[in-house]
Amino acid sequence: MKAIATKLLVVAIIFTTANAAPAKGDDFNSVVKMIEQFYRVKHVGIPFLAKAGMKIGTTAARIKGGQARRIAEAGSIKLAVFEDQEFNGDFIKFRASLNEALNATWMPLIQTISAQDQEQVYIFLKDAGDKVNVLVITIEQRDATVVQVTLSPKNLALLLKDPEGTGKSITQEATINDQE
Amino acid sequence: MKTLLIAIFLIIAPVFAVHAQQDSRIQMSTLDHLASKASQTVDVNIDERLMRLASRVFDDKDEDEREVKKLVANLKGVYVKSFEFEAEGQYTAADIEPIRTQLRGPGWTRLVNVTSKKKGMLEVYLLFNGDVVGGLAVLHTDDKELTVVNIVGPVDVDKLAKLEGQLGIPDLGIGSPKNKKNDDEK
Repeated sequence: MKAIATKLLVVAIIFTTANAAPAKGDDFNSVVKMIEQFYRVKHVGIPFLAKAGMKIGTTAARIKGGQARRIAEAGSIKLAVFEDQEFNGDFIKFRASLNEALNATWMPLIQTISAQDQEQVYIFLKDAGDKVNVLVITIEQRDATVVQVTLSPKNLALLLKDPEGTGKSITQEATINDQE
Repeated sequence: MKTLLIAIFLIIAPVFAVHAQQDSRIQMSTLDHLASKASQTVDVNIDERLMRLASRVFDDKDEDEREVKKLVANLKGVYVKSFEFEAEGQYTAADIEPIRTQLRGPGWTRLVNVTSKKKGMLEVYLLFNGDVVGGLAVLHTDDKELTVVNIVGPVDVDKLAKLEGQLGIPDLGIGSPKNKKNDDEK
C-alpha cells in the first residue's frame, strides 16, 4: 500500500511539474491572458500561424512593391489579435503589471503611451543566442495585438536604431492579411 | 606580516576604487506620475545587457552602424523619459526637482553654450570621474514637453548629436558644446 502511495506521489509530482513548466516559460501566452483578464476581452485564435508567417513575407514584399525585406525570421511569428473590443482601463496599472510579469526574463526596450489616441506600445527583447526574441504589444482603443518574433542580428540593429518605427513594422508584417 | 598586509590591501583596493566611481544612472521613476497627465509618454530602457547586445549587432561594413557601434561600445545604458502635454502647466519645477537634486550631486557638471534647434530650455550635464566622462544627462523642458535622457558610461560629448534619433534617443537638435565646463554651476 505504501509502495503504491509513493508511486502515485511520484506520478503526481511529475504531472505537476510537466504542467507547470510550459506556463512558466511561455510569456507570450501569459501576456495574452493578462490582457484578457485586465481588459476583460478575448483574443481571436489564428490557426496555421507558422504557415501564415511564411506567407506574410511575400505578401509584405508584394504590397510594398517587391522591395520590402522581411523583418521576422521565417516561421517565428506568434500572433494574438483582439478585434473590435473595449480596452478601457488604467494604462499606468497595466504597464506596471506587464513590467512586473516580464522583467525577470525580458528586457524592456521602449514603451510609449498616447493618452490622446489611447494607444500603448510595449517592446521587450530576450537574447536567443545568435538571434533575439522580440515581443511587441500594441493596445489601441478597440483593437490590440501581441506579436512575438525572432530577429536576426541585422534586423535587431534596425530595431535598436529605430525602436518605435521597427516595432510598428513588426506588427504590420505579422498582421497583414494574406487574403487581401 | 608585511606580505599579509600587502595582500589585504590588494584585495580591498579595487573594491574601494569601484565605489569611488560615481554612478551616472539617474533615477527617473519620480516622473512616472506625469504619465497620467501626459498626452504622449515615451520610456526607453537600454540597460547593460541590451547595450552588450547592441554593440554585437551593429555592422562594421555599414558606415552609420560602424559609427554608432563605436559610440555605444563602452556604454552601460541609455535611458529616456519623455512627456508631451496637451496644455501648459501640467508639470512644475517641483516635479523635476528630484532629477535636478541628483544632477547637483558630486561629479556632475553642467555644460554651457549647448545649443538646440528645439524650443524651450536644454541643459546638458556630464559626470566626471576624475578627467574621464562617466555619464551624461540631458534635461529638456518646454511649456508642453519634458524630456530626460541619461547615458551611462564614457560618452563622447562631441559626438552626442550622432546618437540623436538612434536607440530611442529623441532628436533634440543638440549642437556641440563650446565650453566643456561651467564653473559657475559649482
